Amino acid sequence: MTAYIIRRLLYVIPILIGIVLITFLLFRAISGDPTDRIAGKLATKEYKDELRHQLGFDKPLWPQFSALHKGDYREFADNQLFNHFKDTFTLNFGQSTQYKQDISTMVKNGAGPSLAIQIPSFIIALFLEITIAMVCAFQRGRILDRLIVVLSLLGMSFPFLAFIIFGQYYLAYKLGWFPISGYPSHFGPGVLRYVALPVVLGVIAGLGGGVRFYRTVMLDESNADYVRTARAKGVGETSVMFRHVLKNAMIPIITQVVVIIPFLFLGSLLLERYFGIPGLGAMMAEAVDQADWPVLNAMTFVGSLIYLSALIVTDICYAMVDPRVSLR
Amino acid sequence: MKLWIGIGVLAALFAAAFIIIPMLSSSGDDAGEMVRHIALGSKIRGLDPQDIGDTTSSSVGSQIFETLYTYAYLKRPYEVIPLLADDMPTISDDQMTWTIPIRKGIRFADDPAFREGRGRELLAQDFVYSWKRMADLNNRSTNYSAVFAGYVVGLDEFRDYTANNNHVDYDREVEGLKALDSHTLQIKLTKPHNFLLYWLAHLPTAAVAREVVERYDSEIANHPVGTGPYILVGGYAGKSSFSMIRNPNFRGEHYPTEGEPGDKEAGFLDDAGKRIPFIDRVEWSIIEEDQPYWLNFLKGNIDSAGIPKDNFSQAITVDRELSPDLARKGISLNKFKDPSVYYYGFNMDDPVIGTNKPLRQAMSLAFNRQVYIDTFLNGRGELPKGPIPSMFPGYRTDKVNPYVAFDLDLAKAKLAEAEKIQGGPIPPMRLALGGTDTTVTQMGKFFRIQMKQIGLDVEVDYMTWPRFQEAQKTRSHQLFGLGWVADYPDAESFLLLFYSKNRSPGPNGTNYSNPEFDRLYEQAKGLPSLNDRIPLYQKMEDIVIEDCPWLITHYRLAFILHYDWLKNYKPNDFANGTLKYQRVDMALRKRRLKESE
Repeated sequence: MTAYIIRRLLYVIPILIGIVLITFLLFRAISGDPTDRIAGKLATKEYKDELRHQLGFDKPLWPQFSALHKGDYREFADNQLFNHFKDTFTLNFGQSTQYKQDISTMVKNGAGPSLAIQIPSFIIALFLEITIAMVCAFQRGRILDRLIVVLSLLGMSFPFLAFIIFGQYYLAYKLGWFPISGYPSHFGPGVLRYVALPVVLGVIAGLGGGVRFYRTVMLDESNADYVRTARAKGVGETSVMFRHVLKNAMIPIITQVVVIIPFLFLGSLLLERYFGIPGLGAMMAEAVDQADWPVLNAMTFVGSLIYLSALIVTDICYAMVDPRVSLR
Repeated sequence: MKLWIGIGVLAALFAAAFIIIPMLSSSGDDAGEMVRHIALGSKIRGLDPQDIGDTTSSSVGSQIFETLYTYAYLKRPYEVIPLLADDMPTISDDQMTWTIPIRKGIRFADDPAFREGRGRELLAQDFVYSWKRMADLNNRSTNYSAVFAGYVVGLDEFRDYTANNNHVDYDREVEGLKALDSHTLQIKLTKPHNFLLYWLAHLPTAAVAREVVERYDSEIANHPVGTGPYILVGGYAGKSSFSMIRNPNFRGEHYPTEGEPGDKEAGFLDDAGKRIPFIDRVEWSIIEEDQPYWLNFLKGNIDSAGIPKDNFSQAITVDRELSPDLARKGISLNKFKDPSVYYYGFNMDDPVIGTNKPLRQAMSLAFNRQVYIDTFLNGRGELPKGPIPSMFPGYRTDKVNPYVAFDLDLAKAKLAEAEKIQGGPIPPMRLALGGTDTTVTQMGKFFRIQMKQIGLDVEVDYMTWPRFQEAQKTRSHQLFGLGWVADYPDAESFLLLFYSKNRSPGPNGTNYSNPEFDRLYEQAKGLPSLNDRIPLYQKMEDIVIEDCPWLITHYRLAFILHYDWLKNYKPNDFANGTLKYQRVDMALRKRRLKESE
């Protein structure tokens, strides 16, 4: 297994290089530099030029091979692409051009609020979805199963924003059960009061899709040969579902869960915007809008790292839950 | 299986806790304190006064930092009065030397950066230091170009010295900026600067203490320490709500005793002469989406609010008055003019539109401004006459601009003239709009339809804001939509947009150039008296109207709502730190909120 993990870690390196190159091409080479926005409305050309110099936007985008021919390695290495790679791989993300705050501090500040809504939503939704999916598998083809399928489809048909607008208006404003928006300035028990409605809405909005997915997984497994064998041997239906079907359904469940985990860290743009939660989803959307290149770079790189790590953990989990899988 | 049931039960309890606990808990009340609740529509970008360039940061920072001068809170037209200065500046006969006395006994708020944590007295040297900070290129201040560039003896050289220099010596002398003694500041100019007084009332010229800046260094924007009436509690970075409390070191001022006609009847002088500030604590919330912003206002969680576009019909009747439903809740409507102008600019460097005056005039005549204002602004716009908005000295009510009327026949006649100049049909044109949301795309479609009425084809490019700015900088727009908000109550703040030396990448985005306009502009800038400048402004405006580098759409009208528990709330477009004048009737607030439950 150790050799396998080392090999997978080595695979990560070219993938990360590719990601950093793509972010460079997308955000810097294609989107242009943000100097004009940073410089302000009455800025002179001289000031903009100086600012461009400070931010490194006056350097060549690519390595200058003419410098290499001349033997000037310093000039060859001094370009936006190489500097971008150096800064990213040394986690030197710098300051946000928009907020002039240290990006690592911004990410640290934003991760808590994002996770405060994403983790409870994820856990509650996961167990509800699997539980309901198992009920469907138990009751397959009967009225309850069909009703759940119809409700799931209905839930999937509504846009997430509709749930948010409805919940905020009726549950918070009209009924007064929750605060309309906001997030406490310090993490503590008071957080629950503010994250409750976003969590409830996040769970409800995702329930339809989740139930449909896990129901399909459960039904696929419950039609497998080994299940028929178990039934033929006289094993009870409850035991079949929990001891055989659920255990064997873990591979697709783990795959789905791992795909979601990096997005928990990245937060939820809509929930954060509508409920005034100062998380990473809103931060990233704003960075896109304002061409806050250092923030985008940091978030993309950190998000990719988490995602790649999650994929390795998934493979290890496969081996743990399914004896047919071996890591070599 | 038992394990699974156990986990399921735990998840259900977890879910139930999320619903029940918030219902049982309350947000607490504002026991015994006078508290103002304010919503901000965007995040704070930083509270370093020398670098503040956005209205959100400015509205917060101006409660903490103070400038030498400010605008009288109640008086209109706007009048500059001393704030940290002890008097108006003494200006030498040649207008090249300004001497400003600083008030004694003003203290910075307490902070660990000061000796024993006690805020020290404000000195003239603090302004010298703060303005050098603005000039220092390492601080990337967006304000230097507008405020001091080219005007203060030696300051541009100081700025050049800071380029590529990470160890700037702030003791390095700048001839034009001197503290003559502890409380006297002297500014020596390279040429007369008639708008300097306005800039000295502008937040970026506020004083910061050197020891505070040196202690917090690159984190200074998160540690604002000023002389103003309020101090920040616990910071704002990474938060969607934060608080301010009274600055115990604030000297205390008195509520103004004079205003404009009607202020007494409106109750704005009820607190005349009383000691300010009244409010003990300010609770700020950042609410970026319209729905939660509006619902929070209706719930009474915030004291005042603008009206989101989609809620306009709920709040305002067809007669443009407050709806009875809101009036019953104790809400009042404030309507006031905004110091802004909105327009579509024609790139004068473009070979088609830039050389064809009748074409620009035809397009201006084909645009139905009233429908635009009604459709996109719910009527919150004033029909324009020229680039100088109606609230500015120099605006002429009797001025007739023949090209802002909606007149399709005249537009078609002008287009025929334009086609002769072009030597054939006008080729399709391209309009650039900064934004990709629904409203912007609707505006783009509206523009196309307007021009189609006279047979002109326009393609619209919807761009992200940075892309839009990039295109403007490189003069690659043909037509573009933009607005401009004045920094001070002088029409020069708009006319500078037509001065040829301000062409792109400067603020003259149309790249308009007219030697006669330039001559008048330079002449006006040299005149100290506004009354002498006004006739020149009007001549400049006439030139611009005739040359038509802009298709002006409207001057904005602001509609602001506030509850009746908020007293002395008079919008002021230019003054900083106005919360100190406001008062909250907490008993009335409590009663109103109880009634609405």
